[in-house]
Amino acid sequence: MTTLPVQDATVEVEPRTISRKATGADRVFVHSIRAVGATVLVITGGVGLFLGWQAWPTLTHYGLSFFTEASWQPEADILGIRAVLTGTVMVALVAMAIAFPLALLTALYISEYAPAFLRSTLVSLVDLMAAVPSIIWGLWGYFLIMPYAAEFAVWLDRNLGWVPLFDVHNADPDAALIDAAISNYSFSMFCAGIAVAMMVLPMSCAVMRQVFSQTPPGEKEAALALGATKWGMIRAVVLPFGRGGIIGGTMLGLGRALGETIAVLLILSPSFESKWRILEIGGNTVSALIAGRFGDASKSQLSALLAAGFVLFLITLVVNTIAAMIVNRSRSGAGTDA
Amino acid sequence: MNRPIRLIVALALSLAGLASLPGPAHATTYAQIEGTGSTWSELILQQWIADVDSNGMKVVYTGGGSTKGRKDFSQASTDFAISEIPYQGTDERGQSDTSNGRPFAYLPIVAGGTAFTYQLKIGNELVRNLRLSGETIAKIFTLQITNWNDPAITKDNNGRTFPSLPIKPVVRSDGSGTTAQFTTWMDKQYPNIWRPYFGQAGLTSYYPKKAGSQMVSQAGSDQVMNTIKGFAGNGMIGYVEYSYPVNADYPVVKVQNQAGYFVEPTQYNTAVALTKAKINQDKSSQLYLTQVLDGVYANPDPRAYPISSYSYMIIPTGSDDPRMSSAKRQTLADFMYYSLCAGQTKAGPYGYSPLPLNLVQAGFDQLAKLKGADPAVDLTDRDVRSCNNPTFDGKNLSHNVLADKAPQPAACDQAGQGPCGTETGTNQPSTDDGGGAGGAGRNGGEGAAGTDGERGAAASGGEGPAAPGDAPAAIDPETGLAVGAAGSATTTGTTGEVIYADPTELVAGRTTDQRTFGWLAVLELLALVLLPGLYVVGMRRRRTSRAGGRL
Repeated sequence: MTTLPVQDATVEVEPRTISRKATGADRVFVHSIRAVGATVLVITGGVGLFLGWQAWPTLTHYGLSFFTEASWQPEADILGIRAVLTGTVMVALVAMAIAFPLALLTALYISEYAPAFLRSTLVSLVDLMAAVPSIIWGLWGYFLIMPYAAEFAVWLDRNLGWVPLFDVHNADPDAALIDAAISNYSFSMFCAGIAVAMMVLPMSCAVMRQVFSQTPPGEKEAALALGATKWGMIRAVVLPFGRGGIIGGTMLGLGRALGETIAVLLILSPSFESKWRILEIGGNTVSALIAGRFGDASKSQLSALLAAGFVLFLITLVVNTIAAMIVNRSRSGAGTDA
Repeated sequence: MNRPIRLIVALALSLAGLASLPGPAHATTYAQIEGTGSTWSELILQQWIADVDSNGMKVVYTGGGSTKGRKDFSQASTDFAISEIPYQGTDERGQSDTSNGRPFAYLPIVAGGTAFTYQLKIGNELVRNLRLSGETIAKIFTLQITNWNDPAITKDNNGRTFPSLPIKPVVRSDGSGTTAQFTTWMDKQYPNIWRPYFGQAGLTSYYPKKAGSQMVSQAGSDQVMNTIKGFAGNGMIGYVEYSYPVNADYPVVKVQNQAGYFVEPTQYNTAVALTKAKINQDKSSQLYLTQVLDGVYANPDPRAYPISSYSYMIIPTGSDDPRMSSAKRQTLADFMYYSLCAGQTKAGPYGYSPLPLNLVQAGFDQLAKLKGADPAVDLTDRDVRSCNNPTFDGKNLSHNVLADKAPQPAACDQAGQGPCGTETGTNQPSTDDGGGAGGAGRNGGEGAAGTDGERGAAASGGEGPAAPGDAPAAIDPETGLAVGAAGSATTTGTTGEVIYADPTELVAGRTTDQRTFGWLAVLELLALVLLPGLYVVGMRRRRTSRAGGRL
């Protein structure tokens, strides 16, 4: 026989207060997770603070000329980042010019055209590209690609040399023995850009593919049902929907391309000229400059290198933040409303 | 006492027993040592490291340039450094270049020649016997001579002409001891060529590269060598230690010496040249054992290679050095014992030159400072007499065997003669003496015997310059065939494989061709644009007329 506990009438029954506050184990978990999340911010901020603090003496010492001077002669107390900044931008742009169409088409093929049995293989192959260390890409570019890239550069100069971008000084593309001038077309920002493109490609491709795969199937089917061809469907539904992802992935890739170091260091023959002639030998990027000069830098030189690094840090931060904002917006499907 | 505690105590006891075992039981314990620095000496150092590895000595060496080596050492992030030049105090432009108070000593490790390797093709054949005077080299690297068909180059090669091809000097982009040695030589020998280009006097570790010039810069000797021998290397010339072209089977420039002979930096020619090196003998000086090379540049011996130098290891000598331990010091001492003795036998075959006796001896004195810093270092039985260094026989310590048997240069290597057809970069000196290096006679031997400056100076000039005429029958070292009488002007055909260029300039295009094909291109372009449209229009008209007819 069971008896119910007799309610003491004198005790007032109070409803349990409802609180969103975590208690017990939850609370520990929330706090530890929050701490871990905060460390990321602290580390990034710390990097920025450290770089800025180290760069301060250089920036005050050289003033505005730090941004307008092209040569880098710390021994002679003349240095500036105009040349390396131009080089960084040009290498990144070459890389994006190659990587963007490749990444976009690869992503489209994988998400829309590839048969199901091939899809997973292709995805892992593209991911594998991201796993190849950058020094390998550098060697690949140096030994395998550069001889052909140089010949292609000669062809470009011969036919499009009137475009300032493809002009090469000190070399005659129509020479009978091109062998003699081929070195003017090697070790260039163009060659370095090819290697960097291969490192950027998987990252951009992955972002684009993810966004494409989020296209609402209903809208795709609707387009097909209205009589659109497959390409018409992609143009009308997938691409507009994924526009944010395309831009975001490209900018993420750009951020990576700006900071790529070892492959550039290996391929590019260091020179400090601010120039747009991408096919011509020589050039330098901020990160390659730091990697190349860090080992034997004195204290003031180190500060100058870190100042250059600080500028690069700010640029990549801005590029990546914009990219993240665009990608985030595209996730809500904002692209389709347009 | 319960069980787990007893177990832990037992374990702790046995561990303590283990820890107390080494030391007295094993005579030598080694610990891994790490160093950075010169890429000039890197090849021979890596070979030594591989050799001692089986003895339990773990040495890690990374190149990166002498400047980096000195800096890493000064920051106490390495156990030793290799550098071509000593700490500069304040360097050429007022930057600090010191050891930051870390006590150290210089220790010569190997000699060698800074070679100029190049890629120059005539009709797809690599030129392998280029000769250049010092002045021409200085002018090439200061951009005064910019084409291979320059009359100065033709003159150095006794009238032999090279194709019209831009010269692309390859220089180091990092702080480099090779650059420092090369610029020291230019500054001392050709100040009126070097100084206007550099803008000031003195040496530099960073080669000044003019923007917009044909110069190519690369980091590290490896990269320089790779660039020159690469697909785009035609017309390039760069400076590296002789071992790099020897390993890559690439030719080097024969550089003209004071006696008017063009020589290659084989171990013999370097050894002969360095008999005139002035070594700082003041033991109390911080610069003890460092080199002054003015005498080397101007060595009158016909066998001397002018741009020869020693490479140095910087070892920590402080007793309270934060990085060093007894085991590390022992490793360093034994590693250097091997390198200075048996290791020197490998120097020649690898494109370096072994150290002469007096420097090996002095090197041991420097190593003794390790024991001074730490009595636990064992240096017994490690002295010069037990050594197996190829420059001396152990019986007569003041004798440099290598400079003795250095062969006289071939007659066709003299200025105004030749050029010889023998290939360079083979590690064999070009000579008229039969059998090449090994069987060389002793002519001029007494002269170069001494290793310290004055003795060498007294005698080496004596017989030297006259020697080529003495050579009775010139025998080609490769084919073994006798060639024409030594000294006669036309011994060029020694191997019969000499490549000659007769540069003829062709215009890139003919104006008539250009005009014709230009108009053709315009016509084609017009056709490409217009024809499809006209065709469509024509088709449509025909269709409408046909349709109209049917209606």
